[in-house]
Amino acid sequence: MITIVDYGMGNIKSVENAFNFLGIETHSTSDPNELEKSSKLIIPGVGSFKKAMDNLSTLGIKPILNEQVIVNQKPILGICLGMQLMAELGEEDGITSGLGWIKGQVKKLRLNNTNLKAPHIGFNGTYYNQNNSMMFNGLNEITDFYYVHSYSIINTDSEIAHTIYGSKIVAAIEKNNIWGCQFHPEKSQTNGLSILKNFANL
Amino acid sequence: MVKKRLIFTYLFDGENCMLSRNFRLQKVGTVDWIKKHYSFDSIAFSIDELILINVSRNEDKINQFCDVITNLSRFFLMPIAAGGNVRSFEDAKAILRSGADKIILNTPLFNDRELVKKLINSFGSQCIVASIDYLKQNGDTNIYINNGKDKLDLNIYDGIRFVLKQNVGEIYLTSIEKDGTGMGFDIDVLKNAVTQSSVPIIASGGAGDFYHIADCFTKTGTSAVSTANLFNFLGNGLYETRKYLTDNGLNMAKWTY
Repeated sequence: MITIVDYGMGNIKSVENAFNFLGIETHSTSDPNELEKSSKLIIPGVGSFKKAMDNLSTLGIKPILNEQVIVNQKPILGICLGMQLMAELGEEDGITSGLGWIKGQVKKLRLNNTNLKAPHIGFNGTYYNQNNSMMFNGLNEITDFYYVHSYSIINTDSEIAHTIYGSKIVAAIEKNNIWGCQFHPEKSQTNGLSILKNFANL
Repeated sequence: MVKKRLIFTYLFDGENCMLSRNFRLQKVGTVDWIKKHYSFDSIAFSIDELILINVSRNEDKINQFCDVITNLSRFFLMPIAAGGNVRSFEDAKAILRSGADKIILNTPLFNDRELVKKLINSFGSQCIVASIDYLKQNGDTNIYINNGKDKLDLNIYDGIRFVLKQNVGEIYLTSIEKDGTGMGFDIDVLKNAVTQSSVPIIASGGAGDFYHIADCFTKTGTSAVSTANLFNFLGNGLYETRKYLTDNGLNMAKWTY
């Protein structure tokens, strides 16, 4: 059973709808006991890094996630802010510690010397770097996915895909059982559905 | 580089989908009726985003509007922005819980900035689409609120600046004059708006055919173009539009059907 972590942020319904379309069952919860029983986890997320980490703490979800993901090595997929939380820290509204599962920091997109609009909104060509990536299995080397964000992960060694908006942006990370996408697979038409299917098939 | 976005807008009054011309509304049918007569698939696989606007002139239609969002979000696996008549934090929360990803705010931008601030603090800038409606009269472009009823003493460019200061994520700019006429977009205003805005702009009002849409992209540089003209883009209309845009050098996202 795929469990979507409900920590009060992110559009859980979209993720449910997308898996539903694929005929794959999911359920969402904030209950630590239920999270323990899941076979795979998804962390969605839209909004403030600081608020997200506060919510995870307040709801008592943080220790369970650490146990399930790091100790028990359960497959987990972080989407957008959900992926960013996996980094060491975020710099929105001061510095907040992240979950620290992967190297890297979350900083504002650098668009200063460009005419580019912010946030980065829309489909963008995504290049995956590694041939043995399970996340992008079955997809072309360059695939369009939907992005909507103002911050991104930098200085990570877990990057497996990038996109370009002003400069290179980390599009996805993969580190053993830990997957993350900056883009929204649940909002990226059939391209995104492939990613979700690959996750479900792990 | 980020691709251009083709957006379809559905206008709803309760459970009824509406057609608009200069902001005067005409009933088309319920979601079930639309499903029966206009394939959702041909729309859903041809566009990048969906916009749903509650155009009800009665304030108590929010529940029905949320039902529509829940219903449609099952078929449209893409970003969905919804709003119109949002007057409280609870309205916005209900809309997001129903399946929308972004909230569209219009009147509150000008008369309830506290609400806008609260929503941005809770959900983030990228969750808020600022909808601005304007009318060109006697050489002036004035902003209108409350479903196009009340004229503000604010021209479009001052209005954009005013809205940008509130940290919104995008601007959905609608020409009341061009709305529903099918005679093309307001190229001049859109071009200037794009230059003056630091956030993406979604052009709205006037799409009659795919030439208008292509024209809007190439002449104004806007990030996205929206049409609410259900009749003009019947059947394969949106699919043909997307193909025309791609064939004519516009950078559009690609996916398999």
